[in-house]
Amino acid sequence: MIYEGEFLKDAISKLLADGYRVFAPSRVGDFHVFREISSAEEADFNYILPRNSAKVAVFPQNEILIEYGDWIERVPMEEKRIAIVGVRACDAKAIKLLDKHFLEGFVDPYYKSRREKLLTIAIACNNALINCFCQSLGINPRKPEADVVVSEIDGRVFVSADTEIGKSFLQGFNLRNENEEELEIKKRFESEELKMREIRVDVEKLKKSFDSPYWKEVAINCKSCGVCTYLCPTCFCFDIYDEGEKRGVRIRTWDSCQFPLHTLESSSHNPRAEKWQRLRNRFYDKFYYTLRKGNYYCVGCGRCIDFCPAGIDIVNAISEVR
Amino acid sequence: MNEIEKIKDALKSSNAEKIVAFVRKESEPREVLKVLSPNEVDKISFSPLSLNNPAKLLMQINGKVAVVAKGCDSMAIRQLIKEGKLKRENLFIVGISCKGVVDYRKLAKFVNLSEVNDVELNGNDLVLKLKNGEKRIPFLEVVDENCLYCGHPTPVIYDVLIGEPREGKRDFSDIEQFERLSREERWNYWISQFERCIRCHACRSVCPLCYCEECMVDPSNLAVSPMSTPEEKASYPRILGKTVNARDNTIYHLLRVLHHAGRCVGCGECERACPMELPLRMLERKLEKVVVEIFGYDLNEDIPFFSKLDIVGD
Repeated sequence: MIYEGEFLKDAISKLLADGYRVFAPSRVGDFHVFREISSAEEADFNYILPRNSAKVAVFPQNEILIEYGDWIERVPMEEKRIAIVGVRACDAKAIKLLDKHFLEGFVDPYYKSRREKLLTIAIACNNALINCFCQSLGINPRKPEADVVVSEIDGRVFVSADTEIGKSFLQGFNLRNENEEELEIKKRFESEELKMREIRVDVEKLKKSFDSPYWKEVAINCKSCGVCTYLCPTCFCFDIYDEGEKRGVRIRTWDSCQFPLHTLESSSHNPRAEKWQRLRNRFYDKFYYTLRKGNYYCVGCGRCIDFCPAGIDIVNAISEVR
Repeated sequence: MNEIEKIKDALKSSNAEKIVAFVRKESEPREVLKVLSPNEVDKISFSPLSLNNPAKLLMQINGKVAVVAKGCDSMAIRQLIKEGKLKRENLFIVGISCKGVVDYRKLAKFVNLSEVNDVELNGNDLVLKLKNGEKRIPFLEVVDENCLYCGHPTPVIYDVLIGEPREGKRDFSDIEQFERLSREERWNYWISQFERCIRCHACRSVCPLCYCEECMVDPSNLAVSPMSTPEEKASYPRILGKTVNARDNTIYHLLRVLHHAGRCVGCGECERACPMELPLRMLERKLEKVVVEIFGYDLNEDIPFFSKLDIVGD
């Protein structure tokens, strides 16, 4: 359907009025970050990909699991509904992948409390960035998987909803049906591929290359920082610790498999003591280990390539594995 | 003979077992650091997009290494030698008199980077060789701001020098201007910056001088051994948790920066690495100003700053 006006901004105003916590891209200097906003003016949609991923809305970097004193005093759970506005196809897909991790098998109640009240409003991509490669992972950047999808094509705003929650949200908007020409325009838009990089994943080769010296070569300049994992929309590792002896909080925070302490065991043994083992772990976690959940855990957003301070490139590393 | 050919020739003459140099990244115009064997010398490249500092990489390589070093890179190498982390006799340094490097994120605003084949500096312009045609941008508009305050564009230590020596400067005018703000304004400025930090620790991890195996911002594991009791493990020393908020992030950055007093070589890797674009060089430069003005220390002295403080203390 077609909307006359700035749909995303109007959607934010409605969501806020409806009592949602809204996460949207907000401008910081020359770039954008996904963060919680309190008015539609704080959002800015003049971007291709925000610096951080939309996972902050469902999997925050810190969260309090319990507050304790003599005994457990409070278990804070998300009570409000959450909306992510302006998410791209890659980040939208990543949320589906996080769902598999946090909700299938062992169910994470904290994640669940946010996820079951989540509304996602995605925006189709008109352009790709230099390190985008989602298409080669089976994602259509012009047809994101979300509750509501917005495509801006030649000045027209197309809005569609595939889920019940999306459809009921759209009922509050004045939308008109597309005419035949517009339907054709949208169909063409969705079938047109964007020019972008391609990754070649050969799982059999990956299986055989686990002990290859190749990984030392790839990792030689790795700095063991957390840029790739913290910006990654699908990385889900966390740490839990207590702050406060007699009274305090049990906190969950993001953790990165690239940090040496991530796998340090209390026996002093570290199964991934070397940085090449840690980097290899991340690559295998994206393209091999997670196949047991049924998917690659990479959505081709390219953030880890753009912001790796050492210029390590997952597309090259995986495509050229030997 | 152009610059790259001169670098290759110098590297060939080094008899090193390994070469640390810049190689053009596939699919992007920038260079990244690689460790090469001598027969791969023809792969190397160099341009105003050879951004990174190779000093940290040197610490993990044994044997004789040849390295391509800009002014600030050589400062880091010299500092690591001073601190006993590198041996001069193991290094063959191809020093490059540096005209400044590009701020890659600024450049991305001027041009679609995937269209750029080659980049070179021509007079005051950065010349981009595009897939179709050429584009000229005034270098000042895309230069890394850090380079505008560079004290040592010419390497301070080298075996071969490429390019004409250039004068550096000591300019704290930007810091002085900031110091004139009220305490409250400065505090609010920094809190608004630190708030954004995601604590990926990239600034620490890329810093050539942050080489400690155990860092004060990580939960210290010194206390943990197979014999440690659960109580000991639960209460091991920890200065900072992993919580991310303006207050904890401030502690993180201040602690990190204080360890660079009289050591920071000004290469700007911290700021370049920061995915949230925090103005980290400003912190380091303020510290440098204090070290110069209050302690009268110059980074060119042979003795490390902290050792000098010990002598004064005695």
